[in-house]
Amino acid sequence: MNELAAANVLFVLTIAAYLAAWGIFLRFLIRGKGDVGKLGPRLMALAAVLHAGHIGVASFVASVCPVGGIHFPMSVASMLMCVAYLARRRHLRIDVAGAFIAPLALTSLMASRFVGGGAEPGERIKSLILPFHVTMNLFGLALFGLAFSAASLYLVQERLVKRKQIDGVSRRLPPLDALDRAEHGFLLAGFPLLTIGIITGTIWSHRVEMGAPGDVLRAVFGYVAWLVIAGVLFLRSAAGWRGRRAAYGTIAGFGFTVLVLVLYLVRSEPQPGAADASEMMRLLAAMSAAPARTTR
Amino acid sequence: MTLPVVVIGLSHKTAPVDVRERFAAGKEILPEILARLMQKPDLEEAMFLSTCNRVEIIAMPKRSAAPEEATLLASRAIREALREHIGASSTGELADWLYERSGDDAVRHIFRVASSLDSMVLGEPQILGQVKSAYDAAVAAGALRSHLARCVRRAFTVAKRIRTETQLGTGAVSISSIAVDLAKRIFGDLSDSTVLLVGAGEMAEASAKSLGKGARAMRVCNRSFERAANLASAFGGAAAPLDQLEAELVISDVVVTSTAASHFVITRDLVKRVMKQRKGRTLFFIDIAVPRNVDPLVHELDNTYVFNIDDLEQEVIENMKARKQEVIAAEAIVETEMHDWSAWARGLEVTPTVIALRARTRGMLMAELERTLNGRLKHLGEGDRAALFQMMESATNKLLHAPTTRLKATAQSSDGGDLVEALVDLFDLPAVLDSVESANDANGANEKSDTTSARCQ
Repeated sequence: MNELAAANVLFVLTIAAYLAAWGIFLRFLIRGKGDVGKLGPRLMALAAVLHAGHIGVASFVASVCPVGGIHFPMSVASMLMCVAYLARRRHLRIDVAGAFIAPLALTSLMASRFVGGGAEPGERIKSLILPFHVTMNLFGLALFGLAFSAASLYLVQERLVKRKQIDGVSRRLPPLDALDRAEHGFLLAGFPLLTIGIITGTIWSHRVEMGAPGDVLRAVFGYVAWLVIAGVLFLRSAAGWRGRRAAYGTIAGFGFTVLVLVLYLVRSEPQPGAADASEMMRLLAAMSAAPARTTR
Repeated sequence: MTLPVVVIGLSHKTAPVDVRERFAAGKEILPEILARLMQKPDLEEAMFLSTCNRVEIIAMPKRSAAPEEATLLASRAIREALREHIGASSTGELADWLYERSGDDAVRHIFRVASSLDSMVLGEPQILGQVKSAYDAAVAAGALRSHLARCVRRAFTVAKRIRTETQLGTGAVSISSIAVDLAKRIFGDLSDSTVLLVGAGEMAEASAKSLGKGARAMRVCNRSFERAANLASAFGGAAAPLDQLEAELVISDVVVTSTAASHFVITRDLVKRVMKQRKGRTLFFIDIAVPRNVDPLVHELDNTYVFNIDDLEQEVIENMKARKQEVIAAEAIVETEMHDWSAWARGLEVTPTVIALRARTRGMLMAELERTLNGRLKHLGEGDRAALFQMMESATNKLLHAPTTRLKATAQSSDGGDLVEALVDLFDLPAVLDSVESANDANGANEKSDTTSARCQ
């Protein structure tokens, strides 16, 4: 019980820290007040530490591997996204991207706790490939979240600059070039991880029963996400798709990966007694956009 | 009394760049414009000022009529001249863009313009040079001769005082430096960017200075390759002739244009071709030229941004905030100088009376001396006669020194009209119809010599 209480306290503190960081970033963006280069990232760092603590204690309480089910992966992904942001924000000059990253992390954390999801993977499908597959997807998702944040900020800044509204919010946003580079960098870093996730998912799909419309849809969206992101990267280098087009592509790619997750979260629960492990595997396979295999 | 100076013009505050560029005039056509102005029967003196942010005609009316009427006639003449300059069908077309100042307001305006207090970028040093160039052109064309010339020279003194006594001009302040700041803020760190300067004039040089070593590479593209090469070598860049502009655009990231071309040097079609070769890499133009060098339609292309001189206004507001205290100090100097100028101008009112009084006194004394020398003292030699004439001159000066000084002092501190009337009555002086006109005649020779030396100011 003590561990459970500690996990709950850490959960609430993490939410509070994310909210505070978000507030700092928004206050800076909207009203131009506060030092977004110091206080905001510090609160994000605090939130990430609390978040990591929560994951650790909650894992201990639940006695499961953090990368085994769907709740923890979501939570870990958002925490890793914050860590990656904190590690790269100075170099990429994207401090203010915290205004997108904080709510993303917060939403992910809340969803991992309150939105329905699959059960832990059963003994039948547990294998060495599972933690590897999930970890790759987690890192990929975290990096795409960062790329999405940079792309969103790029579109806002680009719109303001095109309209020549270069005072106010525009003044507080990172330069266009910095945002474009950050978006491309995160996308480029996340793509190999997603690819590995796709490959491991494809291999895995042969061991998992899939065939329900939701499963198929998730798999399709997983592949679409991979194709969109691959297309954005390819067109950037081959045809000069930069700036706004690349930003839209990045947002679409991230949107598809999130869609896979959402489809899993809103799926109908299997009947009691159904193999919970297979459900979990469906999710993981879908997350990595594994192809559907009709077995029924 | 104030001098009836008239200023009519338009600036960044009253007209957008697409209007201002219609009025802008290069150095080569200034003599022609000034000659046309001097043909106007209602203008005594005139000067044509054309900068990035303003076009103004500064004039002194002919004093053939009452001051108010003369000012009105001069105003009409200036508006007509501006209409002719841009080929408008009527002066009414220009009315929305023009501002007009007269009398002390006009003089204050000239002081503020020369001191960059009316500039888009407060404290920018270029404006003084531009006013001096306009002054030199007007003097060379014979359009500035007397009081207006003196007024403009006074403006130079005011500007220098402000630069010396305040911090208004401290720091990186110029259109070019603000343009570079804007590029850094919107485009990003220029340390990975190639900056291309199109044009190799003063503005380009100021841009190069502002860039310093901030850019990865700097290139200069100009119609005259020699000038481009000189500027490039001074700042460690590379030069290219204007016919290689397309190739230069392909390898550049930020382009600052400041040529004197009267047409778009960079067109939409050109940039479209360039962007294909650049594979979509962002291209950022800052067009600080008037008339503009970059077609505004270029801004509509993907990953291409065009900012002209009017778009720098937000940056300028930040600049103004930082210099608020200095502006207060500078405005105080302007007011002090205005006070001195007004006193001098009021002094002009009594000058004809002083001249008449001196002439009357001297005339009477000399007439008496002549009569005596032709009578009782006709035995005196040339030397003695010269000594007596000298004595009379000295006596006249000493006798009139105190009344002249007090009259001028009274005129400068308040209206000396009552004293003038009293003197005219007491000494039966000829009525002065036009004090300024008389003062002009009296001071003409001095003013002419002054204008020559003023070029060095």
